[in-house]
Parts: sequence; C-alpha cells; structure tokens
Amino acid sequence: MTDKVLSEDLDLLLEDFCETCGLSESRVLSYVEEGVISVQGEDVKRWRFSEVNIVQVQKADRLERELRLNPAGVALALELMSEIEDLKNQLKRLQRTSQQE
Amino acid sequence: MKYKDYYQILGVEKSATQDEIKRAYRKLARTYHPDLNKDAGAEEKFKEIGEANEVLSDPEKRAAYDQLGQGYQSGQDFQPPPNWDEGFEFSSGQNRENMQEQQFSDFFSDLFGAAHRQQTDTGAGQFSARGQDHHAKIIIDLEDAFQGAKHGIVLKVPELDQTGHLVVKDRKLEISIPKGILEGKHIRLKGQGSPGLGDGKTGDLYLEIAFKPHPLYHADGADLYIDLPVTPWEAALGAKVQVPTPGGAVDLTIPAASRQGGKLRLKGRGIPAKPVGDMYVVFQIALPPADNNKAKEIYETMARELDFDPRRSLKSGVRQGNRD
Repeated sequence: MTDKVLSEDLDLLLEDFCETCGLSESRVLSYVEEGVISVQGEDVKRWRFSEVNIVQVQKADRLERELRLNPAGVALALELMSEIEDLKNQLKRLQRTSQQE
Repeated sequence: MKYKDYYQILGVEKSATQDEIKRAYRKLARTYHPDLNKDAGAEEKFKEIGEANEVLSDPEKRAAYDQLGQGYQSGQDFQPPPNWDEGFEFSSGQNRENMQEQQFSDFFSDLFGAAHRQQTDTGAGQFSARGQDHHAKIIIDLEDAFQGAKHGIVLKVPELDQTGHLVVKDRKLEISIPKGILEGKHIRLKGQGSPGLGDGKTGDLYLEIAFKPHPLYHADGADLYIDLPVTPWEAALGAKVQVPTPGGAVDLTIPAASRQGGKLRLKGRGIPAKPVGDMYVVFQIALPPADNNKAKEIYETMARELDFDPRRSLKSGVRQGNRD
C-alpha cells in the first residue's frame, strides 16, 4: 500500500489524470473549459495537470451527477463554496479574537 | 428491521404526484449533499433521501412499497411477507455507474435488493468498470504536522455478504502522516477504494487532513497564530517574555507602544512545510482587575494624572452626525 500526499506539481498528462480520477476525457475537458481546474501547456496533447486537482474534479463530478448540474453550474457552485469556506474561517478567527477581549 | 417511511423522509404526502416527489427530492438533495453540507449526519441524510427517491420516483417500486407498508409507522418493526414482490417487476432507470455506488439500508435491500443484484450480475460478464474512489476526512493533532506520525483509522466499509445483504465491516488502516502536512491536503491510498467490476481496477481512497482544535495555536495554511496575553505596562513600555511554540518556548521582545491585536512574526516557527510557515504572536492586552485598594489607587492616579480620552474620535463623530 502506498500513501502519498497529492502533489501540486503540474506533471500529469490528460490521459494519466483521467485514469487516476476515473473520469472521461470529455468530462475533464469540460471542467478545464469552465475554469474548475487550471492546466499548464500550449495544446491539449501537452497539457499538464496536478494531482491536487483530482479531488476537485471528483467533487465537481459528484455535484454534476447527484444534483444534475451542468459544468458551468458546477464551476459556480465550487467558487461560491470556496468563498463560503474562506468567510467561515475569517469568522472563526474574528470570534476567537473577540472572546479574548 | 425497522419500517422506513419514505414519504416522511421526503416530507411529502402519501398522495403526492411524481412531480412533487421529484421537486421535494431535488431540494433536499441540494440541502444535504455532503459536498455542500459539512454537518455531521448530512451524508446519512443524503443517502436516506436518495433511497426514498429511488423507491418513490419509480412508479412500480412505489406501488409495491405502498401496498406493503399499509398501516406501518416509521421505525416500527417490519418483516416483509414471503414472495411479497410477486407481480411486480422492478426496472431501474439509473445507469450502472450510479447503481454500484448507492448504499441503501437493510430495509431497502430486503425489499428491492433482489432486483438490484440481478442487474449487477448480468452486467458483470460483458462489463467492467473501475472501482469507485472513496473520500474521508481524518483529524490529526497539530503536533503530528511537526513531527510526522502514524495514524490508525477505522473505516466503515459496506460490503455485500453471501446472501446479498449489505453489511458494514470495520477496516483498520495505518497511515503515515508526513511531516509538514497542512490542513486541507489530501493523502491518496492506492487500491483502498471499492473493488472494480469485471476487469476494472480497484478505486483509491482519498483522505483529507484536518487539525483537531488546539488549546494554544491555530493554523492558517503553514502559518500558526497564538494569542499572547500581555499586561498594559508590558504593551506600553515593552518587555521580554517567553512564548510557547510547538518547537519549544522562545524569548520574545514586546516592543514599547504595542497595541491590542498587534502582531509579531517569528520567522520559520510555523509548520515545517515547503515553504516553512511562520508563527504570528497576537497581543491580547489583559486589564488588571481593580479588586483591592492598591489597584484602585493606581487606577485613580492614572485617571487624575493621564490626559487620555479613548473616545476623542467618537465625540467629533457625534457632532458631525448631528449636523447631518
């Protein structure tokens, strides 16, 4: 068994990335198009993906299937979710500070 | 086995139309989707409404369920009569990809399990699919991110037993937490997800790292924050104090004229990630209580001797407010 922390390096080709995620190329490409994940490289053949994005596209895929969203809706939902996450963290920090005073 | 009231779960009347059921399901699915709702129990609830929808959205299954459940209350002990499903033919509109990942209750699989199994079995010959990946969260001590650690976890894994019933088994795994791990990072365990169908590969397990709340520190990425209580005179005049850090206490000079909420950075004292985080010391000025004569006297002297009005800016603000 190998444990591995997902790396941020952009070193996976589309084919390998899809294989690891268990998603089709067209699904993954639709998420790139909507900006759910970012890639590096000139054209699709040479695009490089990073492992940290595996979790992100799998979440996108779950939302798309389980809530019947389209890729644009998924992208919007994910952006709003991350904004809410940031705000919650800020709120936690502020609550901690005000308790001290 | 307990009777499950699928109508109650979706919050609809027994007479609800298929459209009403669909709308109720979709609304609840958005509320309880475990990616959107982080409350403990949301995932259970999401599965439950999925199960209720699986039955009620299919007119055949709904009819069978209605006939069977007459007179039963939610939670009541329930045993389906033998061959109760004669005369019904369950066809599922779901594709196979969805089928294999749904984990329904005993109640569901006792009633509709046979139909499910048939579908999967006939498929297995010609069809192979990669096993599903699993996602879970593990909560570790902040200290583990400083030293690295071994972490034992127990996963609840649903499996089909020989009779085709769903049973939940414990699976113990030991995970190495590498030094420098940060909150929100994921560890992948290859081949620890669901088995594949046919020749399909086994899925992977992804573990998201979260930190247990720490009594002293809190992490923001690789940086750590600590609230340091200081006296008014330490803040005003400056002082040398000791501050705890996960790597041991360090000496810190509080500069003169420090303010409430002021921050000092201890470079490289955060989580040893790449790059290494810093530690921020946040001053929290603590007022001494005036609970004895000595303390009162000192406060009275300050009141008399110091020209200090913290509300100066408010007063000019009030005047402006009146004029508007």
